[in-house]
Amino acid sequence: MKTKTWVILLALCLISSVAAAATVKVITQEAMIRADKRFFAPALVRAPFGAALEELGREGDWFRVNYQGKEGWIHKSAIQEQKFQLSSLAGGQAEEASRDEVALAGKGFNPEVEKAFRDKNPKMRYDLVNQVQAYRVEEQKLQAFIRAGNLREPGGVQ
Amino acid sequence: MKKNIFCTTALSFLLVLFLAGCAEVVQMGTAVGEGMGKISKEDREAIDRAAKQTAKAARPMTEQEEYYVGRAVAATILGRYRFYSNERLTAYINSIGQSLALASDRSYTFGGYHFAILDTEEANALACPGGIIFITRGMLKEAQNEDQLAAILAHEVAHVNHKDGLASIQKSRWMEALSILGSETARKIGGAEMSKLVSLFEGSVDDVAKTLLVNGYGREQEMKADLGALAFLNRLGYSPYGLTDSLEKMAREQSGGSKQGIFATHPGMNQRLANSRSTLSKNQWPRKDDPARDRRFREFVG
Repeated sequence: MKTKTWVILLALCLISSVAAAATVKVITQEAMIRADKRFFAPALVRAPFGAALEELGREGDWFRVNYQGKEGWIHKSAIQEQKFQLSSLAGGQAEEASRDEVALAGKGFNPEVEKAFRDKNPKMRYDLVNQVQAYRVEEQKLQAFIRAGNLREPGGVQ
Repeated sequence: MKKNIFCTTALSFLLVLFLAGCAEVVQMGTAVGEGMGKISKEDREAIDRAAKQTAKAARPMTEQEEYYVGRAVAATILGRYRFYSNERLTAYINSIGQSLALASDRSYTFGGYHFAILDTEEANALACPGGIIFITRGMLKEAQNEDQLAAILAHEVAHVNHKDGLASIQKSRWMEALSILGSETARKIGGAEMSKLVSLFEGSVDDVAKTLLVNGYGREQEMKADLGALAFLNRLGYSPYGLTDSLEKMAREQSGGSKQGIFATHPGMNQRLANSRSTLSKNQWPRKDDPARDRRFREFVG
């Protein structure tokens, strides 16, 4: 009986690593899934923070994924391997634990804490921080800037 | 007795798993143990709780948490220095900085990389956690061409890559924050707990801001940031000599007695210079001057 239990536990360990490897989660505010494994490749679909993407393969720093039926490439720095998938194999209790993890994942230094901090320090220049973060260089302009300076386009398979 | 031996063995195995961060696997294991009547429901719940709390206690700050700390650090810096609003110059430094960020080891952060200018003659550059990077007008004057300016920005991008800002937060603050977050009541934090969490956040922001503005990073962190910068510059096609050229200039000024801005928070320019030169010579990277980049630098920076 003891051996049987060990076998079950080890099997669960193996299943968990397989299940975890099959899905990745977006960890940036939003991430672009692209037609090719390059930063400036055409964007296919935008995935929000926390979106679960099915992993189809890896090449260098790029993951091939499926999101909402669209298959494309995403850079490794925009994602994290996800382990929640395990819950579907483990039944109700583990599923509940996973939901707890998801709920707690939003806790921490989050918008709620920032709001309380700002209320406490109303003179902090968050208006300027928002202005700094709102500034974006369009992809096409960035690509043109790189070319005009005789630089190399970053982000091919490394 | 047999049951006790089983429990001890199974618990040891589960302990190994949860030390390895497999809280979910532990929960499945305990479910099996309970299902087979080998451990009680209470034991199972206790193990699950311990596994979850251990996993949480060990966790580093998430990208999202880093982002909120970084925003507050940036707000602190913008309270001390005037923001320099110049659309053309802002576009220029963002184009250089964002290209470097893509070429770095951490191309994307939660909120992305953003570069802004501070209106002060003091020469300095500051990287907030998460990717907001400031360069002062004084520092812009230190750079003599685009490759040197890129080197200064690449060094700051490397600090973001290495999460050096977060490393200056006192460990005890983060552990205390985790203990609040890990408590059963964390589902709905409010009242005293929220107020405690906000003061821990405030303390963390102060730790980072003090490091950036007063104490500076350690020499080891600076040298690692230089090595990162050399690699990012080279990947993108900038001359890595941009870094040694700007370090040389700053080392000369530091030896001339300047103690303001970057000279106060970035000590040991000579040692950094020697370290970077040694990397350049080891890799045999060529010097790559480019007239097109020189032209646009003169156009945007003067």
